[in-house]
Amino acid sequence: MTAAVARAEGEIAERTAAFRAHIEAGGQVEASDWMPDEYRRRLIRFIEMHANSEIMGALPERDWIARAPSLKRKLGLSAKIQDEVGHAQLIYRVAEDLGKPRDQMFADLIGGKSKYHNVFHYPTKSWGDVGAISWLVDGAAILSQSGLLRCSYAPYARIMKRICWEEAVHLKHGEDICLTLAGGTPLQRAMLQEAIDRWWEPLMMFHGPPTPPEKDGDLAWRIKAKPNEELRQEFLDRYVPQMREIGLSVPDPACRKDAESGRWQYTEPDWTKLAQIGNGGGPASSQRLAFRRLSYEEGAWLREAVLGEAA
Amino acid sequence: MPIFEVFSQQDPGGPFIHAGSVEAPDAALALQYARNSFSRREDAFRLWVVPRTAIHEEVDLDLLRPPGDHRYRLGRYYRANVEKRRRLKARVADAAGAEADA
Repeated sequence: MTAAVARAEGEIAERTAAFRAHIEAGGQVEASDWMPDEYRRRLIRFIEMHANSEIMGALPERDWIARAPSLKRKLGLSAKIQDEVGHAQLIYRVAEDLGKPRDQMFADLIGGKSKYHNVFHYPTKSWGDVGAISWLVDGAAILSQSGLLRCSYAPYARIMKRICWEEAVHLKHGEDICLTLAGGTPLQRAMLQEAIDRWWEPLMMFHGPPTPPEKDGDLAWRIKAKPNEELRQEFLDRYVPQMREIGLSVPDPACRKDAESGRWQYTEPDWTKLAQIGNGGGPASSQRLAFRRLSYEEGAWLREAVLGEAA
Repeated sequence: MPIFEVFSQQDPGGPFIHAGSVEAPDAALALQYARNSFSRREDAFRLWVVPRTAIHEEVDLDLLRPPGDHRYRLGRYYRANVEKRRRLKARVADAAGAEADA
Protein backbone atom coordinates (compact mmCIF):
# COMPACT_ATOMS: atom_id res chain seq x y z
CA MET A 1 0.00 0.00 0.00
CA THR A 2 1.41 3.37 -0.99
CA ALA A 3 1.50 6.20 1.51
CA ALA A 4 -1.05 8.15 -0.56
CA VAL A 5 -3.56 5.26 -0.49
CA ALA A 6 -3.05 4.79 3.22
CA ARG A 7 -3.61 8.49 3.80
CA ALA A 8 -6.81 8.44 1.69
CA GLU A 9 -8.11 5.43 3.58
CA GLY A 10 -7.33 7.05 6.90
CA GLU A 11 -9.21 10.12 5.76
CA ILE A 12 -12.29 8.08 4.81
CA ALA A 13 -12.22 6.25 8.14
CA GLU A 14 -12.07 9.60 9.91
CA ARG A 15 -14.94 11.05 7.85
CA THR A 16 -16.98 7.90 8.41
CA ALA A 17 -16.47 8.14 12.17
CA ALA A 18 -17.53 11.80 12.16
CA PHE A 19 -20.56 10.92 10.00
CA ARG A 20 -21.48 8.09 12.37
CA ALA A 21 -21.25 10.43 15.36
CA HIS A 22 -23.45 13.00 13.57
CA ILE A 23 -26.09 10.33 12.85
CA GLU A 24 -25.95 8.89 16.35
CA ALA A 25 -26.48 12.35 17.83
CA GLY A 26 -29.74 12.56 15.86
CA GLY A 27 -28.27 14.49 12.91
CA GLN A 28 -29.76 14.26 9.45
CA VAL A 29 -28.24 13.94 6.01
CA GLU A 30 -29.22 15.63 2.73
CA ALA A 31 -28.83 14.19 -0.79
CA SER A 32 -25.91 16.52 -1.56
CA ASP A 33 -23.92 15.53 1.57
CA TRP A 34 -21.00 13.13 1.58
CA MET A 35 -21.94 9.73 3.00
CA PRO A 36 -20.09 6.46 3.59
CA ASP A 37 -20.62 3.77 0.94
CA GLU A 38 -22.17 1.40 3.45
CA TYR A 39 -24.78 3.98 4.46
CA ARG A 40 -25.64 4.66 0.80
CA ARG A 41 -25.87 0.92 0.04
CA ARG A 42 -28.15 0.31 3.02
CA LEU A 43 -30.34 3.29 2.15
CA ILE A 44 -30.75 2.16 -1.44
CA ARG A 45 -31.61 -1.40 -0.42
CA PHE A 46 -34.11 -0.27 2.22
CA ILE A 47 -35.76 2.48 0.14
CA GLU A 48 -35.86 0.38 -3.03
CA MET A 49 -37.61 -2.45 -1.19
CA HIS A 50 -40.09 0.07 0.22
CA ALA A 51 -40.83 1.45 -3.27
CA ASN A 52 -41.16 -2.09 -4.67
CA SER A 53 -43.61 -2.91 -1.88
CA GLU A 54 -45.79 0.10 -2.65
CA ILE A 55 -46.10 -0.81 -6.30
CA MET A 56 -46.51 -4.57 -5.66
CA GLY A 57 -48.99 -3.81 -2.87
CA ALA A 58 -51.32 -2.19 -5.37
CA LEU A 59 -51.73 -5.51 -7.19
CA PRO A 60 -53.65 -7.66 -4.64
CA GLU A 61 -56.12 -4.81 -4.13
CA ARG A 62 -56.41 -3.99 -7.82
CA ASP A 63 -58.14 -7.35 -8.30
CA TRP A 64 -61.05 -6.03 -6.23
CA ILE A 65 -61.85 -2.70 -7.90
CA ALA A 66 -64.28 -4.35 -10.31
CA ARG A 67 -65.73 -6.52 -7.53
CA ALA A 68 -66.19 -3.82 -4.86
CA PRO A 69 -69.69 -4.14 -3.34
CA SER A 70 -70.77 -0.52 -3.85
CA LEU A 71 -69.81 2.64 -5.71
CA LYS A 72 -68.62 4.18 -2.43
CA ARG A 73 -66.25 1.26 -1.84
CA LYS A 74 -65.08 1.32 -5.45
CA LEU A 75 -64.15 5.01 -5.09
CA GLY A 76 -62.43 4.44 -1.74
CA LEU A 77 -60.46 1.45 -3.02
CA SER A 78 -59.46 3.12 -6.29
CA ALA A 79 -58.25 6.18 -4.37
CA LYS A 80 -56.16 3.96 -2.07
CA ILE A 81 -54.57 2.11 -4.98
CA GLN A 82 -53.82 5.40 -6.71
CA ASP A 83 -52.14 6.57 -3.48
CA GLU A 84 -50.01 3.41 -3.24
CA VAL A 85 -48.72 3.78 -6.79
CA GLY A 86 -48.13 7.47 -6.04
CA HIS A 87 -46.08 6.46 -2.99
CA ALA A 88 -43.95 4.21 -5.21
CA GLN A 89 -43.28 7.22 -7.48
CA LEU A 90 -42.14 9.37 -4.53
CA ILE A 91 -39.96 6.65 -3.04
CA TYR A 92 -38.34 5.49 -6.29
CA ARG A 93 -37.31 9.14 -6.85
CA VAL A 94 -35.50 9.21 -3.49
CA ALA A 95 -33.73 5.95 -4.35
CA GLU A 96 -32.78 7.28 -7.80
CA ASP A 97 -31.17 10.35 -6.24
CA LEU A 98 -29.01 7.98 -4.19
CA GLY A 99 -27.58 6.61 -7.41
CA LYS A 100 -29.56 3.59 -8.60
CA PRO A 101 -31.34 4.23 -11.93
CA ARG A 102 -35.06 3.50 -12.03
CA ASP A 103 -34.86 1.10 -14.99
CA GLN A 104 -32.30 -0.92 -13.03
CA MET A 105 -34.67 -1.06 -10.04
CA PHE A 106 -37.52 -2.23 -12.28
CA ALA A 107 -35.29 -4.79 -13.99
CA ASP A 108 -34.21 -6.13 -10.58
CA LEU A 109 -37.83 -6.25 -9.37
CA ILE A 110 -39.27 -8.13 -12.35
CA GLY A 111 -36.13 -10.28 -12.54
CA GLY A 112 -36.71 -11.41 -8.95
CA LYS A 113 -33.35 -9.95 -7.84
CA SER A 114 -34.70 -7.38 -5.40
CA LYS A 115 -37.34 -7.87 -2.74
CA TYR A 116 -40.75 -6.54 -1.86
CA HIS A 117 -42.62 -6.96 1.39
CA ASN A 118 -43.65 -10.51 2.40
CA VAL A 119 -47.24 -9.45 2.92
CA PHE A 120 -47.73 -8.86 -0.81
CA HIS A 121 -46.84 -12.44 -1.77
CA TYR A 122 -50.28 -13.75 -0.81
CA PRO A 123 -53.53 -14.04 -2.79
CA THR A 124 -56.71 -12.15 -1.86
CA LYS A 125 -59.65 -14.54 -1.68
CA SER A 126 -62.64 -12.43 -0.65
CA TRP A 127 -63.82 -8.87 0.01
CA GLY A 128 -62.99 -9.65 3.65
CA ASP A 129 -59.31 -9.75 2.64
CA VAL A 130 -59.61 -6.23 1.23
CA GLY A 131 -60.87 -4.99 4.61
CA ALA A 132 -58.26 -6.95 6.56
CA ILE A 133 -55.43 -5.64 4.35
CA SER A 134 -56.54 -2.03 4.41
CA TRP A 135 -57.13 -2.01 8.17
CA LEU A 136 -54.50 -4.33 9.62
CA VAL A 137 -51.75 -4.51 6.99
CA ASP A 138 -51.86 -0.75 6.57
CA GLY A 139 -52.08 -0.45 10.37
CA ALA A 140 -48.90 -2.50 10.72
CA ALA A 141 -47.27 -0.46 7.94
CA ILE A 142 -48.11 2.85 9.61
CA LEU A 143 -46.27 1.73 12.74
CA SER A 144 -43.03 1.09 10.86
CA GLN A 145 -43.50 4.02 8.47
CA SER A 146 -44.06 6.56 11.22
CA GLY A 147 -40.62 5.52 12.52
CA LEU A 148 -39.23 6.62 9.16
CA LEU A 149 -40.37 10.19 9.86
CA ARG A 150 -37.22 10.35 11.99
CA CYS A 151 -34.98 8.65 9.42
CA SER A 152 -31.44 10.02 9.35
CA TYR A 153 -31.80 10.52 5.57
CA ALA A 154 -33.84 13.74 5.39
CA PRO A 155 -35.24 13.51 1.81
CA TYR A 156 -36.80 10.12 2.72
CA ALA A 157 -38.10 11.41 6.08
CA ARG A 158 -39.70 14.42 4.35
CA ILE A 159 -41.73 12.41 1.82
CA MET A 160 -42.84 10.02 4.60
CA LYS A 161 -44.96 12.83 6.07
CA ARG A 162 -47.24 12.79 3.07
CA ILE A 163 -47.19 9.00 2.84
CA CYS A 164 -48.09 8.49 6.52
CA TRP A 165 -50.95 10.96 6.23
CA GLU A 166 -52.38 9.08 3.25
CA GLU A 167 -51.87 5.69 4.91
CA ALA A 168 -53.93 6.92 7.85
CA VAL A 169 -56.86 7.47 5.46
CA HIS A 170 -56.41 3.93 4.07
CA LEU A 171 -56.57 2.58 7.60
CA LYS A 172 -59.90 4.36 8.22
CA HIS A 173 -61.23 3.06 4.91
CA GLY A 174 -60.22 -0.50 5.89
CA GLU A 175 -61.60 -0.14 9.39
CA ASP A 176 -64.92 0.98 7.91
CA ILE A 177 -65.04 -2.13 5.68
CA CYS A 178 -64.25 -4.37 8.68
CA LEU A 179 -66.78 -2.65 10.97
CA THR A 180 -69.46 -3.02 8.30
CA LEU A 181 -68.72 -6.73 7.81
CA ALA A 182 -68.38 -7.40 11.55
CA GLY A 183 -71.77 -5.74 12.15
CA GLY A 184 -73.40 -7.45 9.18
CA THR A 185 -74.99 -10.84 8.48
CA PRO A 186 -73.52 -14.09 9.87
CA LEU A 187 -72.14 -14.74 6.39
CA GLN A 188 -70.38 -11.35 6.32
CA ARG A 189 -68.96 -11.89 9.80
CA ALA A 190 -67.69 -15.34 8.81
CA MET A 191 -66.10 -13.91 5.64
CA LEU A 192 -64.21 -11.31 7.69
CA GLN A 193 -63.09 -13.83 10.33
CA GLU A 194 -61.82 -16.18 7.61
CA ALA A 195 -59.86 -13.29 6.11
CA ILE A 196 -58.35 -12.46 9.51
CA ASP A 197 -57.43 -16.14 9.97
CA ARG A 198 -55.65 -16.10 6.59
CA TRP A 199 -53.82 -12.82 7.23
CA TRP A 200 -52.77 -13.40 10.83
CA GLU A 201 -49.56 -15.27 10.00
CA PRO A 202 -48.38 -12.69 7.43
CA LEU A 203 -49.25 -9.95 9.94
CA MET A 204 -47.22 -11.57 12.69
CA MET A 205 -44.30 -11.83 10.25
CA PHE A 206 -44.84 -8.27 9.02
CA HIS A 207 -42.19 -6.54 11.11
CA GLY A 208 -39.59 -9.24 10.57
CA PRO A 209 -37.78 -11.60 12.95
CA PRO A 210 -36.91 -10.32 16.45
CA THR A 211 -33.38 -9.34 15.44
CA PRO A 212 -31.47 -8.01 18.47
CA PRO A 213 -31.23 -4.22 18.05
CA GLU A 214 -27.43 -4.27 18.32
CA LYS A 215 -27.25 -6.61 15.29
CA ASP A 216 -29.59 -4.52 13.12
CA GLY A 217 -27.45 -2.27 10.90
CA ASP A 218 -30.45 -0.24 9.69
CA LEU A 219 -31.06 0.78 13.31
CA ALA A 220 -27.41 1.63 13.90
CA TRP A 221 -27.42 4.04 10.92
CA ARG A 222 -30.79 5.35 12.13
CA ILE A 223 -32.48 4.47 8.85
CA LYS A 224 -35.29 2.98 10.90
CA ALA A 225 -36.15 4.01 14.42
CA LYS A 226 -37.50 0.95 16.24
CA PRO A 227 -36.48 -2.71 16.58
CA ASN A 228 -38.73 -5.25 14.80
CA GLU A 229 -40.04 -6.82 17.99
CA GLU A 230 -41.01 -3.40 19.42
CA LEU A 231 -43.12 -2.73 16.35
CA ARG A 232 -44.83 -6.14 16.62
CA GLN A 233 -45.57 -5.48 20.31
CA GLU A 234 -47.07 -2.09 19.39
CA PHE A 235 -49.16 -3.73 16.67
CA LEU A 236 -50.56 -6.34 19.06
CA ASP A 237 -51.16 -3.75 21.74
CA ARG A 238 -53.14 -1.52 19.43
CA TYR A 239 -55.07 -3.98 17.26
CA VAL A 240 -55.80 -7.14 19.28
CA PRO A 241 -58.14 -5.27 21.71
CA GLN A 242 -59.74 -3.45 18.74
CA MET A 243 -60.37 -6.77 16.99
CA ARG A 244 -61.75 -8.51 20.05
CA GLU A 245 -64.16 -5.74 21.03
CA ILE A 246 -65.93 -6.03 17.66
CA GLY A 247 -66.28 -9.81 18.02
CA LEU A 248 -63.30 -10.93 15.96
CA SER A 249 -61.04 -13.62 17.33
CA VAL A 250 -57.27 -13.84 17.01
CA PRO A 251 -56.42 -17.20 15.44
CA ASP A 252 -53.58 -17.89 17.88
CA PRO A 253 -54.51 -19.49 21.21
CA ALA A 254 -51.15 -18.40 22.63
CA CYS A 255 -51.78 -14.71 21.90
CA ARG A 256 -52.15 -12.90 25.22
CA LYS A 257 -50.69 -9.95 27.06
CA ASP A 258 -48.61 -10.98 30.03
CA ALA A 259 -49.89 -8.88 32.94
CA GLU A 260 -46.54 -8.89 34.73
CA SER A 261 -44.17 -7.94 31.90
CA GLY A 262 -46.75 -6.03 29.85
CA ARG A 263 -45.41 -7.90 26.81
CA TRP A 264 -47.48 -9.82 24.29
CA GLN A 265 -46.88 -13.52 23.96
CA TYR A 266 -47.69 -15.35 20.74
CA THR A 267 -46.85 -18.43 18.75
CA GLU A 268 -43.45 -17.83 17.17
CA PRO A 269 -43.85 -17.50 13.40
CA ASP A 270 -41.74 -19.75 11.19
CA TRP A 271 -38.96 -17.35 10.25
CA THR A 272 -37.47 -19.70 7.61
CA LYS A 273 -40.86 -19.55 5.89
CA LEU A 274 -40.69 -15.74 5.97
CA ALA A 275 -37.28 -15.85 4.28
CA GLN A 276 -38.60 -18.24 1.60
CA ILE A 277 -41.60 -16.01 0.94
CA GLY A 278 -39.47 -12.87 0.77
CA ASN A 279 -37.28 -14.60 -1.81
CA GLY A 280 -40.25 -15.23 -4.08
CA GLY A 281 -41.57 -18.49 -2.66
CA GLY A 282 -44.93 -17.15 -1.48
CA PRO A 283 -48.29 -18.50 -2.69
CA ALA A 284 -48.87 -15.61 -5.11
CA SER A 285 -45.25 -14.50 -5.76
CA SER A 286 -44.80 -15.79 -9.30
CA GLN A 287 -48.25 -14.66 -10.43
CA ARG A 288 -47.66 -11.15 -9.05
CA LEU A 289 -44.22 -10.79 -10.60
CA ALA A 290 -45.51 -12.14 -13.92
CA PHE A 291 -48.23 -9.48 -13.87
CA ARG A 292 -45.74 -6.72 -13.03
CA ARG A 293 -43.43 -7.95 -15.81
CA LEU A 294 -46.35 -7.94 -18.25
CA SER A 295 -47.33 -4.36 -17.29
CA TYR A 296 -43.72 -3.27 -17.63
CA GLU A 297 -43.33 -4.85 -21.06
CA GLU A 298 -46.70 -3.62 -22.28
CA GLY A 299 -45.85 -0.10 -21.13
CA ALA A 300 -42.50 -0.06 -22.97
CA TRP A 301 -43.92 1.77 -26.03
CA LEU A 302 -45.17 4.57 -23.78
CA ARG A 303 -41.84 4.97 -21.97
CA GLU A 304 -40.11 5.08 -25.35
CA ALA A 305 -42.55 7.71 -26.63
CA VAL A 306 -42.20 9.88 -23.51
CA LEU A 307 -38.46 9.53 -23.03
CA GLY A 308 -37.70 9.73 -26.74
CA GLU A 309 -35.34 6.79 -26.51
CA ALA A 310 -35.37 3.07 -25.94
CA ALA A 311 -36.42 2.73 -22.27
CA MET B 1 -29.84 40.80 -14.14
CA PRO B 2 -31.20 37.30 -13.35
CA ILE B 3 -33.54 36.81 -10.39
CA PHE B 4 -33.09 33.85 -8.07
CA GLU B 5 -35.83 32.51 -5.80
CA VAL B 6 -34.51 31.63 -2.34
CA PHE B 7 -35.52 28.56 -0.35
CA SER B 8 -34.48 28.22 3.25
CA GLN B 9 -34.33 25.18 5.50
CA GLN B 10 -35.15 26.36 9.00
CA ASP B 11 -34.77 23.04 10.86
CA PRO B 12 -32.21 20.33 10.11
CA GLY B 13 -33.95 17.77 7.92
CA GLY B 14 -36.99 20.03 7.49
CA PRO B 15 -38.60 21.23 4.27
CA PHE B 16 -37.09 24.02 2.15
CA ILE B 17 -39.50 26.93 2.37
CA HIS B 18 -39.71 29.81 -0.07
CA ALA B 19 -38.19 32.84 1.66
CA GLY B 20 -38.05 35.50 -1.07
CA SER B 21 -35.84 36.39 -4.01
CA VAL B 22 -32.56 38.11 -4.84
CA GLU B 23 -31.14 39.69 -7.96
CA ALA B 24 -27.64 38.51 -8.83
CA PRO B 25 -25.44 37.93 -11.88
CA ASP B 26 -24.81 34.28 -10.97
CA ALA B 27 -25.69 31.53 -8.51
CA ALA B 28 -22.60 32.04 -6.33
CA LEU B 29 -23.41 35.69 -5.71
CA ALA B 30 -27.12 34.87 -5.38
CA LEU B 31 -26.18 32.55 -2.49
CA GLN B 32 -24.15 35.34 -0.88
CA TYR B 33 -27.04 37.80 -1.16
CA ALA B 34 -29.51 35.18 0.04
CA ARG B 35 -27.33 34.55 3.08
CA ASN B 36 -27.15 38.28 3.79
CA SER B 37 -30.91 38.78 3.41
CA PHE B 38 -32.31 35.60 4.87
CA SER B 39 -29.84 34.23 7.41
CA ARG B 40 -28.32 37.09 9.35
CA ARG B 41 -29.56 35.65 12.66
CA GLU B 42 -28.83 31.95 12.35
CA ASP B 43 -32.19 31.60 10.57
CA ALA B 44 -31.24 28.91 8.09
CA PHE B 45 -29.48 25.56 8.16
CA ARG B 46 -29.31 25.41 4.36
CA LEU B 47 -30.17 27.77 1.53
CA TRP B 48 -31.13 26.97 -2.03
CA VAL B 49 -31.24 29.48 -4.85
CA VAL B 50 -33.08 28.64 -8.05
CA PRO B 51 -33.19 30.80 -11.21
CA ARG B 52 -36.73 32.16 -11.47
CA THR B 53 -36.78 31.09 -15.14
CA ALA B 54 -36.43 27.48 -13.93
CA ILE B 55 -39.70 27.68 -12.02
CA HIS B 56 -42.94 26.76 -13.74
CA GLU B 57 -46.27 27.44 -12.13
CA GLU B 58 -49.67 25.76 -12.20
CA VAL B 59 -52.65 27.77 -10.91
CA ASP B 60 -55.59 26.06 -12.59
CA LEU B 61 -57.87 25.14 -9.68
CA ASP B 62 -59.94 22.83 -11.88
CA LEU B 63 -56.78 20.73 -12.06
CA LEU B 64 -55.41 21.27 -8.53
CA ARG B 65 -58.74 21.05 -6.70
CA PRO B 66 -60.96 19.21 -9.16
CA PRO B 67 -64.69 19.87 -8.82
CA GLY B 68 -66.76 16.95 -7.61
CA ASP B 69 -67.10 15.13 -4.34
CA HIS B 70 -63.74 13.70 -3.26
CA ARG B 71 -64.43 13.52 0.45
CA TYR B 72 -63.80 9.77 0.36
CA ARG B 73 -60.10 10.64 0.07
CA LEU B 74 -60.12 12.33 3.48
CA GLY B 75 -59.87 10.80 6.92
CA ARG B 76 -62.81 12.77 8.25
CA TYR B 77 -65.09 11.01 5.73
CA TYR B 78 -64.68 7.97 7.99
CA ARG B 79 -65.52 9.78 11.21
CA ALA B 80 -68.66 7.62 11.48
CA ASN B 81 -66.32 4.69 12.28
CA VAL B 82 -66.19 5.84 15.91
CA GLU B 83 -69.95 5.53 16.37
CA LYS B 84 -70.09 2.31 14.32
CA ARG B 85 -67.42 0.77 16.56
CA ARG B 86 -69.16 1.93 19.75
CA ARG B 87 -72.48 0.32 18.72
CA LEU B 88 -70.82 -2.91 17.59
CA LYS B 89 -68.78 -3.11 20.78
CA ALA B 90 -71.95 -2.78 22.91
CA ARG B 91 -73.66 -5.47 20.83
CA VAL B 92 -70.71 -7.88 21.18
CA ALA B 93 -70.54 -7.21 24.95
CA ASP B 94 -74.32 -7.84 25.27
CA ALA B 95 -74.09 -11.09 23.35
CA ALA B 96 -71.18 -12.24 25.55
CA GLY B 97 -73.21 -11.31 28.66
CA ALA B 98 -76.26 -13.24 27.43
CA GLU B 99 -74.07 -16.27 26.76
CA ALA B 100 -72.60 -16.09 30.25
CA ASP B 101 -76.10 -15.88 31.80
CA ALA B 102 -77.41 -18.89 29.86
